[in-house]
Amino acid sequence: MNGRKLTLFTVFCAAFLSLCSYTYGGERINVVTTTTDLADIVKVVGGDKIKVVSLSTGSQDIHSVDPRPSMVIQLKKADMLVKMGMDLDMWVDGLISAARNPRVIYSAKGYVDASIGVERLEVPKGKIDASMGDIHIYGNPHYQTNPANAIPITKNVLDGLCRIAPRDSEYFKHNRDEYLKKLEEKMVIWDREMAKFRGSNIVTYHNSWPYFANRFGLNIVDHIEPKPGIPPSPAHLSKLINVMRAKKVRVILVEPYFPLKGCQIIAEKTGAKILIFPPSVGGVKGIDTFLELFEYNVNQLVKALSE
Amino acid sequence: MRRYLIGFLSIFMLYGGQVLAQEIGSISATEEMTAPAAPQGMRGVPINIPDISVTGDIVGKVTDNKDDEDRNTVHIREIELALQGFIYPKMRADVFLAMHRHGDHVEAEICEAYVSFLNVLDGLGLQVGKPHINFGKINKVHQHHRSYVDQPQVMTEFFGDHGLVGEGGSLSYLMPLPFFAQFDLGAWRIEGHHHEHEGEESETAQVKDVNDGTITVAVHKEHEHKHKEFGLRDEVYTTRLWLSFPLTNESELELGMSGAKGRGAHYKEHMDNAEVYGVDVTYKLWPATQNRLIFQGEWLKLIRELPIGTLKRTGFYSLLNYKVDKYWDVGIRYDNSENAWPDKEENESVSGILTKHLTETTCLRAQYKCNSHGKDEAYLQIAFGIGPHSHPLE
Repeated sequence: MNGRKLTLFTVFCAAFLSLCSYTYGGERINVVTTTTDLADIVKVVGGDKIKVVSLSTGSQDIHSVDPRPSMVIQLKKADMLVKMGMDLDMWVDGLISAARNPRVIYSAKGYVDASIGVERLEVPKGKIDASMGDIHIYGNPHYQTNPANAIPITKNVLDGLCRIAPRDSEYFKHNRDEYLKKLEEKMVIWDREMAKFRGSNIVTYHNSWPYFANRFGLNIVDHIEPKPGIPPSPAHLSKLINVMRAKKVRVILVEPYFPLKGCQIIAEKTGAKILIFPPSVGGVKGIDTFLELFEYNVNQLVKALSE
Repeated sequence: MRRYLIGFLSIFMLYGGQVLAQEIGSISATEEMTAPAAPQGMRGVPINIPDISVTGDIVGKVTDNKDDEDRNTVHIREIELALQGFIYPKMRADVFLAMHRHGDHVEAEICEAYVSFLNVLDGLGLQVGKPHINFGKINKVHQHHRSYVDQPQVMTEFFGDHGLVGEGGSLSYLMPLPFFAQFDLGAWRIEGHHHEHEGEESETAQVKDVNDGTITVAVHKEHEHKHKEFGLRDEVYTTRLWLSFPLTNESELELGMSGAKGRGAHYKEHMDNAEVYGVDVTYKLWPATQNRLIFQGEWLKLIRELPIGTLKRTGFYSLLNYKVDKYWDVGIRYDNSENAWPDKEENESVSGILTKHLTETTCLRAQYKCNSHGKDEAYLQIAFGIGPHSHPLE
């Protein structure tokens, strides 16, 4: 290839790539979220002004999602990123660097930490280290398990969308208000259904449910994991069986991605019922929205505690 | 001159297209001016110190090979101190200081230290300093982060025990395509080996010439015995194209092509220029939440231009790894590689690997390796991490 052909080829390649980049533009705001819960909430607030994609699925353990190069491309195209924060979805930080998209880097207008304004539980005091298991320095990060936390989450999403498209602010505010009205109605029903079980003792696999328990007045007596992220030993399971018998625990909440083996042994010995309790939208088939998620979880818990 | 002008215009068009697309897809600058500032959010350590971490790699080795210095020992292979953080908006620094074991002694060195400009232009990043060079699939991956104890043989034969590490800079461009496509170009300086010959004693070896014929060359005995490690040295230029395609929601295929050009590690003695080309493929499948299957293969070809002819060598490894659950994975690796020296040797091995993950940075691993030369090796490894530790997307 001579010099002239080479330069023409270079121009052709650049023009082609330029054209490809041109197709990125569009009418709607591209939003990327780290979880399916956030994706559903963004969809509600953003309406038809946005396109949203979640980097994880509802059946994944959000602590440890494998970053993939294809996720980089989603972030590269994004106008806004919404993450859980509180160091829960730290795997996205490397992807943000790899995407080189100034619109969604830390402190950019399109960077939204959904945890701002959430009343945080279990914020550690004093020295923390790995001997305590997988502890998060800002507190327990599973705040999405309290439906009321949709209020600060939608507020953060709204602020982000208004920063990016202020001319559509009223539209976004209207969508949020309508959603919160629906949520309020649902929460009244859920609170009423759960009221008779206030003070009930439960056991959970991972420490994912303090916000849920706090909301509905449940008492988490222990976890299958002896410490967050640490697999159970036979000695721990044996101790747990005694505790559950003593405290008359009737249900064990297990996220869909944890092994059932240890739980089944405990359930057999104590008579407790195992509930597959998805913490996120899409955690079980047919649960496609944040409201459906609570509907599903509350219903199965009410049924189990009523038996 | 005209060529440069056209090249500049090409880059301008490319950059202009991106900017135009952003403007069409978003909102006007005037509107943005009226928007409130973004909250900073919460992440990492809440005070202005970098992420500090220590990783360690302790290995026990049992082998039939009586020439192996590590035979029947438990030793600290590496201790690494990492200091990482942002130094300016869109600029971060990563420093990895390491204590490595070299034979019977331990050496302190800068394993990696580089500054990354995350977005020079849209999609274009710049890295300056001393990184593990982006060549092939695993050269960038630190030993404690790999899913096996020892380095694949072809990497050791062509780049030495520590892989391809140099001082210089690289440009990395994330192409504006609907799939992941990253192109890297780097220029590096790598220190050569220094050694002295005790005499001019030499012996001969058979080498393939440019026409695949065989010629006889002189080989220094001293050199051969004490400095077996080959690698690229002096001015080294590298390139890599990394592509990735999501095949389904549960699977992804990565393809890579790499090239490196420089002088041989023992240039003073051999007067050799060397090129290494590589092709890699990685397939990942997530059949269930806690399960993951990885197939990875990397094939390398070394071409050494010696005054007396051309020496061509190839090698590859294939890895199959399956994550059984959250804590355990099993793997099998096949290695086949020729050496980089005139007296051609070819070795193959098969390794079985079992890993128990305690945390993201801490694991216990056992590996058994059957070598074609009959001297098997068994390893036990504890790789641990204290503190927040991260590496770029690998």
